Amino acid sequence: MQNILSVLWPSFLVAGIAEGIFFTLIDPRELYLFGEPVHFSSLATYSIGFFCFWAICAASSMATCYLLRTAQEFKGADQET
Amino acid sequence: MLTPLAVTSKPVTFVEQGLYEVHEKVYPRSVTGVYATWRWLMVWLTQTLFYGLCWLPWNGRQAVLFDLTARKFYIFGLAFWPQDIIYLAVLLIISAYSLFLFTAVGGRLWCGYACPQTVYTEIFLWIERKIEGNRAARIKLDANAMSPRKLLLRVAKYSAWGLLALWTGFTFVGYFTPIKMLWVSVWSFSLGPWEIFWIIFYGAFTYLFAGHLREQVCKYMCPYARFQGVMFDPDTLTITYDATRGEPRGSHKKGEAYKAQGKGDCVDCSICVQVCPTGIDIRKGLQYECIGCAACIDACDQVMEKMGTPKGLIRYSTEHAIAAQWGWKEIIRHIVRPRVLVYTAILWTIIAAFIWGIATKSALRVDVIRDRAVLAREVEGGLIENVYRLHVMNASEAAHRYAITVSGLPEINMIGERIIELPPAGDRTFMVQVRVPPDSGKRGSNVIYFEVKAMADETTVIREKAAFIQP
Ligand code: SF4
Ligand code: SF4
Repeated sequence: MQNILSVLWPSFLVAGIAEGIFFTLIDPRELYLFGEPVHFSSLATYSIGFFCFWAICAASSMATCYLLRTAQEFKGADQET
Repeated sequence: MLTPLAVTSKPVTFVEQGLYEVHEKVYPRSVTGVYATWRWLMVWLTQTLFYGLCWLPWNGRQAVLFDLTARKFYIFGLAFWPQDIIYLAVLLIISAYSLFLFTAVGGRLWCGYACPQTVYTEIFLWIERKIEGNRAARIKLDANAMSPRKLLLRVAKYSAWGLLALWTGFTFVGYFTPIKMLWVSVWSFSLGPWEIFWIIFYGAFTYLFAGHLREQVCKYMCPYARFQGVMFDPDTLTITYDATRGEPRGSHKKGEAYKAQGKGDCVDCSICVQVCPTGIDIRKGLQYECIGCAACIDACDQVMEKMGTPKGLIRYSTEHAIAAQWGWKEIIRHIVRPRVLVYTAILWTIIAAFIWGIATKSALRVDVIRDRAVLAREVEGGLIENVYRLHVMNASEAAHRYAITVSGLPEINMIGERIIELPPAGDRTFMVQVRVPPDSGKRGSNVIYFEVKAMADETTVIREKAAFIQP
């Protein structure tokens, strides 16, 4: 539980910031998806954008968590032998 | 020294502790007093603003609206487009700086009185208290086995929380889509899927944070709580227990000559611990969990009053002041220190620049973007044509007609709208074609100018540079 939250929460915060900056600079109506102009409503684009950012940030946090943990497990295994 | 960052210095145990570990549930006891009154005032102020502002009309539109679909922000008489991002950036800097300043002077004033987390927790706690009773009653109720009465109280509490949370979510979304239309959509069951989603999402967060997580948000999730410690110094006002006066603690009766028995003023009633929303004992010194809500000051002052001893065993004070037993005069003299003066000076400079920027903000904005699809092409009569997209934004509170002209090359001509009309705070994007003879200007890129002028007001005029490609 703690791991899940420490992945989800910081990525939520960072995704919020990323979303703000990205869509201030880029008009969703100018985005292209697979070569087609995006045809969702703006609200949908903003929302989907936010969740994409969140997912990406979460992936990064998850990788950090995973690497940290293996390091500790390595240490633990060393000490036992 | 203060140890507000203690938790980060033991990262290994942190993992085992768990973010939302089997923590002891905190049952804050209700408290009245000077600071509690201030806190409630702030709750009223911030929430009247939050729940009310979105309903306020202004010149035929919502006074404060962050219209995402139209990519336009309205704040009363001002309209902002994404191009005005600089104002938002400066506003953020001002907020950050004020936070630094307040923290350096008065510690966690923000946390204790204004933070939405504190404010909503306060409101949710109030509901809880009204439905389930005071601290003792709540502890008892939690310990009891499920009974019809408990079930009833629980359902009542959770529904009251839920309604408030939904209303909060609705209000939040109402700042991004016009709230009156949103309200109509609710009753005609025509809310868009994403609107429903965000209302529930924000509502659920409010419910979870204010109803269940409470102090844990401050302890584990809030970034500010983690770094505010670096802004403290020994002259920062914080909630402090005066150990010199209070210790050795021990119970004694009113009027008893406890001082002769070597006892201090603290009667060890633990009321200060019971009122604390984060469940800490301030008598152990300043801890990073303390959100500076001053509930323990109000509580202890009441005890002191009953005991007939002077108030202020727990009070706003500074590390230096407690050590040297300074009075207020001395404390204030030390609060006005170079660091605070520098912060204040910088803050006022930025605020002045911001106000000046807003006051002199142009009533008209024009963006010219070359059409990416066609660089340059030959059209009938052998003329060379370039295509541009103009975005004209009327940032004033009056409707205007604008005349558009182009210049910069011999025999330059423009096809497309030459006069456009915009409502107050309105904007429009449209295409224009610019044509010149093939021998006009040099080969390659030439500078041309678009001029947009308000027809009723000659002073509102914008000249925008653009590049004309001559093949
Ligand atoms: S409320 Fe005051 S007297 Fe009671 S335990 Fe706390 S510090 Fe001591
Ligand atoms: S110690 Fe006092 S000021 Fe700090 S959080 Fe607890 S009650 Fe509030």
